[in-house]
Amino acid sequence: MLVACVLLLGGCAARGPLILSPARLVELDDTPFFPQTAHQCGPAALATVLGASQINVTPAQLEPQVYLPGRRGSLQVEMQAAPRRYGRLSYRLQPELAAILAELDAGRPVLVLHNYGLPIWPRWHYAVVVGYDGNHDRMLLRSGKTRRQSLSAANFMRAWDNGGRWGLVLLRAGELPAVPDKQRYLEAAAAFERVAAPLDAWAAFDAAVKSWPEEPVALVGRGTASYASSNLQQAASDYRAALNIDPAQTGARNNLAMTLLESGCPQAAGREIQKIDLTGLAAVMAEAVSDTRKQIDAQSSAPEQAGCTAQ
Amino acid sequence: MTPSKWRAASVAVLTVAIANMGMISAAQAGIVATSAIVRTDRDADLTSIRSHLERADVRAQMEKLGVDATVVDSRVAALSDSELHNMATQMQNAPAGGDGLLAVIGIVFVILLILELTGVINVFNRVHAAR
Repeated sequence: MLVACVLLLGGCAARGPLILSPARLVELDDTPFFPQTAHQCGPAALATVLGASQINVTPAQLEPQVYLPGRRGSLQVEMQAAPRRYGRLSYRLQPELAAILAELDAGRPVLVLHNYGLPIWPRWHYAVVVGYDGNHDRMLLRSGKTRRQSLSAANFMRAWDNGGRWGLVLLRAGELPAVPDKQRYLEAAAAFERVAAPLDAWAAFDAAVKSWPEEPVALVGRGTASYASSNLQQAASDYRAALNIDPAQTGARNNLAMTLLESGCPQAAGREIQKIDLTGLAAVMAEAVSDTRKQIDAQSSAPEQAGCTAQ
Repeated sequence: MTPSKWRAASVAVLTVAIANMGMISAAQAGIVATSAIVRTDRDADLTSIRSHLERADVRAQMEKLGVDATVVDSRVAALSDSELHNMATQMQNAPAGGDGLLAVIGIVFVILLILELTGVINVFNRVHAAR
């Protein structure tokens, strides 16, 4: 035991500073603080980042959404899912200290998972990083019952490493992370789409289209948000733009056909759906396409509205 | 019907009902959700097939872990397919952030206490035995 302690302590000696961004002090002092009670660091940390994002909610209100009594704690996956219900997009950070610093520079606190135990005996804890002091190589956190905890960057990194370097920021609809990664962002936006209001989903994908104009998935997402708010013309135009970039984007073509059908253009819809080759399609996609076909067939005798061919 | 038959029948009905809930939300409008195309088709396919089965499983596991039945549905609904898979397979042993620091302080104290006690007792036993 003693040997283990000495080894652990020795591990942090003789290292250079870890905070390599231009040495300066960032502290998001407006970030609210909710001292945790019992095992409730999950709800408390979540209320902290939501509050910083102008969503006023208490840990007690969040507890039924993220706390698992049988585990005496909250799981990362649910911590990530809950903010969507408040119109915030959860973005999982790249596992680097620089990513945390960049978010703090952009004014967003970062929710992190720490492990204060040993690999064989983990003790998990959520905390919120609200700043850093580059001059003294320290990280500033809201943690547990401490409003302003100052941890050396080395100790912070040890607990963060042992926790799998999990870090989360909350984005308003239409906001991009400080260092956006396309795939991470699109997956976050697609998960957001499930529960978000159509206008919020639209804003989230619109930001992606502006950032990666050649990405068909971003266009499909924006189109589907338009469809969900019955803006059929905009939806069709985004689906077409996605197909111009990638004609094999079956999801875009299927959704375009549905949009045309709902716009009163069953013939045009039929022409689109016929272009899809069902062989080799994923089962879920094939199922959606056959469903669309059925709906189009059911309306095939309906008259084509004016303006359909011009589209 | 015997109780076990009742149980089997109600499970079957529930299973179909739950499976249909998922199907309807996916196919209702004939629109493909962006989550189905954001990853490669094969991944999306696997997760989607799984998620029909997993949704019910996650509900049951959550209730077993003490989540109030009235909020289980909304909690499950907020999960993406891959998050759902994560929950289904790791709910019992994934990291659960709780009161990490307090527990560490507590257990260190307990270990020290045990070492102290066992050490003292051994020392005294030996001393006594030697005499």
